[in-house]
Amino acid sequence: MGFGSKRTVSLSSFIIWCTLAAFFVLVLLPTFYLISYVFLRWPEVNREVFANPIIGDENWNQILKVLFFTFRLSLSATLFDLLFGIPLAYVLARKKFPGKSLVEDVVTLPLVIPTSGFGFATLVTWTTASGIGGVFGSSSGAISLDTLIPFINVQALLFIVHVALTFPYVVRTVETKIQSIDPTFETASRTLGASSFTTFRKVLVPLMIPGVFSGAVLAFARSLGETGATIIVSGVSSTASIAIVRWTAEFKLATASFMGSLLVIIAAAIILPVEVYLRRGKRTLRFSSHFPVSLSRQLLRLERFTSGKLARIKDFAPLIVVVVTVIVPIIVVLNSVILFWPADPYTGKLEGGVFYQLFGPANYFNHLLQATLTSIVVALISTYISMCVAIPLAFIIERRWYGSFIRSILKVPMIIPTSSLGLSVLLMWGSSGINLLSTGIWLIILTHIVFSVPVIVESIIPAYEGSDIQTYEDSARTLGATEYNATEKVSIPLVKGGIITGFILSFTRSLGETGATFVVMGRNVTVPALVVNMVEALAIPAALFTSTFLILLALIMLGLIRVATRRR
Amino acid sequence: MPEVKLVNVSKRYGRIKANDGINLTIKDKEYVSVIGPSGCGKTTLIRNIAGIIHPDEGEIFIDEESVSNVPIEDRRIGYVFQNIALFPHMNIWDNITYGPHVRGLPQQQTRPLALEMLDMIKIAARSEAYPHELSGGTQQKTAVARALISDARLLLLDEPLGALDVKVRTELRYELRRLVKDLRLTALHVTHDQEEAMSISDRVVVMKKGRIVEAGTPVSLYTRPQHTFTANFVGEANFLKGIVVETTADTSVVDIGSGVQLRANRGKETVDERVIVVFRPEFAVLDKPIEVNRLSGKVMDVLYSGSIIRVMIKLPNDETIAAKRIASFDKPMYDVSESVTISVSPDNVLVYPYPEEGLKKALALE
Repeated sequence: MGFGSKRTVSLSSFIIWCTLAAFFVLVLLPTFYLISYVFLRWPEVNREVFANPIIGDENWNQILKVLFFTFRLSLSATLFDLLFGIPLAYVLARKKFPGKSLVEDVVTLPLVIPTSGFGFATLVTWTTASGIGGVFGSSSGAISLDTLIPFINVQALLFIVHVALTFPYVVRTVETKIQSIDPTFETASRTLGASSFTTFRKVLVPLMIPGVFSGAVLAFARSLGETGATIIVSGVSSTASIAIVRWTAEFKLATASFMGSLLVIIAAAIILPVEVYLRRGKRTLRFSSHFPVSLSRQLLRLERFTSGKLARIKDFAPLIVVVVTVIVPIIVVLNSVILFWPADPYTGKLEGGVFYQLFGPANYFNHLLQATLTSIVVALISTYISMCVAIPLAFIIERRWYGSFIRSILKVPMIIPTSSLGLSVLLMWGSSGINLLSTGIWLIILTHIVFSVPVIVESIIPAYEGSDIQTYEDSARTLGATEYNATEKVSIPLVKGGIITGFILSFTRSLGETGATFVVMGRNVTVPALVVNMVEALAIPAALFTSTFLILLALIMLGLIRVATRRR
Repeated sequence: MPEVKLVNVSKRYGRIKANDGINLTIKDKEYVSVIGPSGCGKTTLIRNIAGIIHPDEGEIFIDEESVSNVPIEDRRIGYVFQNIALFPHMNIWDNITYGPHVRGLPQQQTRPLALEMLDMIKIAARSEAYPHELSGGTQQKTAVARALISDARLLLLDEPLGALDVKVRTELRYELRRLVKDLRLTALHVTHDQEEAMSISDRVVVMKKGRIVEAGTPVSLYTRPQHTFTANFVGEANFLKGIVVETTADTSVVDIGSGVQLRANRGKETVDERVIVVFRPEFAVLDKPIEVNRLSGKVMDVLYSGSIIRVMIKLPNDETIAAKRIASFDKPMYDVSESVTISVSPDNVLVYPYPEEGLKKALALE
């Protein structure tokens, strides 16, 4: 007995060490490598960025311009998300209405949708006659690729795509937060004489501020790193993550890595303080707002007046955002595939039809099959390896004293812009680093592992904390099980729901990832990257078909997620 | 002068009728409690009055005015919640002045009101504290003060003491009643604790499955309940099945099997009717049984709970009854299997017609 237990103790510590090592090498190291790369090769970076013999500091000017543009875009998208997302989150958290779960699904859809396919759908919807323009009888699109939104000087199309892709982060996070707030507070406020708008402002808003912050942070990070859809709708303008893709493709590695590190550092500088603030357990924000009395009374009167009248509008206006940014593009792209199937409906040319492009001389169907195979192999292998790291890691986070520290640094891969991530993996494993792998399927897998591990860990942790694992495991131990044994036979089955959800989320994410993949894929094209290639080759009908394929795939994955989460 | 009147109020949730044709009048300055098992619709009732929910049918009048179209914030009621619901992001002062503030009352008027309230509940010194820094009892007192500051004349209390410790609960009970009476308020108090309801109210309403079973003063409900359900739910009672064998002008004799007969004051029962005979354990005299209504049996079990001894006795007809008496050292204890004789005064024996749905169902809490 003594011998046996000693062996299993060392077995569990062996597993812990392996997990931590894998976590460090696979997940953390690339990011650090990217930043250290800039320092180690500073002369080279300096020469290329600040003191180029031919163009001087033009590259640095480019970087600044791109960064400012990116921040304008991300910030305005996030603010827009908050403006419409908070009311929608409130409605979803507090009201019951028929079709609510459908609305929730539609809101979640952009989280699982492969972004390049979605970007293409938005592009078709807004800038071509098959989309919104056509509905109103125009022979061109409703807007053009470079229509600007006044004041913020951001292309309308980019803005729409970024809102669509970041909206769910705000809505779902704030919704969860509101659900955790006891509705009695609101009722109490009403019985004390406050109108519903006053109640919202004075009671709900202060209590849900942490949720709003974390939702905004997630949305902002997502927008900062968005590549797949952006690359399709960006036109001539360039966001930071696209610039990295482009510069990497042009082998301007020093400039790209400098930009990548800047992005990582800036993202961390904005996001981590908010995380720390939220983690410190300040669950509510206490403000002492002292409006002038007359103003405050006017505000109260206004709120009382509008509470009854605007309630409906407030409830359902945000839905329009979802309909316009998510549902319409999907319908348009499905509709267009059917219209374009035999031939281009406008010119009548066979060559402009989906069928011709897929099975004609270009034979895009073969490309698609090849890409699908690559995508699935990548998603399966990367998810499998990530699970092997993430499951023990989740347990380590919950049990060891350094767990919360690990969970904090796990945030790093979640906030890194994906193209920076791709670049960092490329630099580390590729010819300028360890020189073990060149671009291709294995690099894609290594890249996907970096973001899959945190996704799986974050799905397992709620399942772990939701079930009373420690008690069950303690009782298993009193019945004679070793720690390893109890974990294997008791704890892992208890968090099965979380593991399954994590698997599906990670698989979905891997299937749809575009930005990082694009940097590292070389000739092993995945489906989302194929859409980008098709758009760049102006094979629009083929892109239509592939986008539809991706969107349908996303819908299937969403269904699976529903089934997996419902069973819990 | 708040008088609350509910006329035929119904509310359903899906297939469940939470309130089913409720008619009830709460008089001005009356303290009324609503009791009933969980899910009987008592919280629905109070939420209907507050305007948190709206009845599907029927109407509610406050001071003879229908409040159907009056939103919650304009009903001028004070509502106290089981989970206290002091705003966690505001200190005590801000919590208490919340009502006047959102109603747009100027500060110079709010201040003296709030000071008065803080004084009344004796926590003026802690007005800067946040709710979580106070004990549960103090929190709930603050919540009551917050509910009353805007001059509410009708106080609705939804299990106000439910979240508190037992000791604090009994203490606060009396404070609540004193407060309501001092301020001459009308109060409706929902609770599942029948003892709390009895000790605090002028009148108690018993509910079951969305309907009012009966209403009455605590004394009449306890000593002369109109229904077997009330007899069972309020306090404790022995239920014995029997048949009426004889009636006179003022007494009935009921055979409860194996030749055992009990006398009771005459009600509406007639000879040969199937009935239920009910008496409370503490009305069973254990020591010096009187001559009438003697019951002999075997002690099955003795339970000692501090002030009271409870003896379970098996009667010759195989029914088991409970008898209680004050514990004291100068009287003998009882041994299991010992034979005992008890008696119940006919005044304390109640006779009910045998319920159509069966005794078990009539007593069932759900």
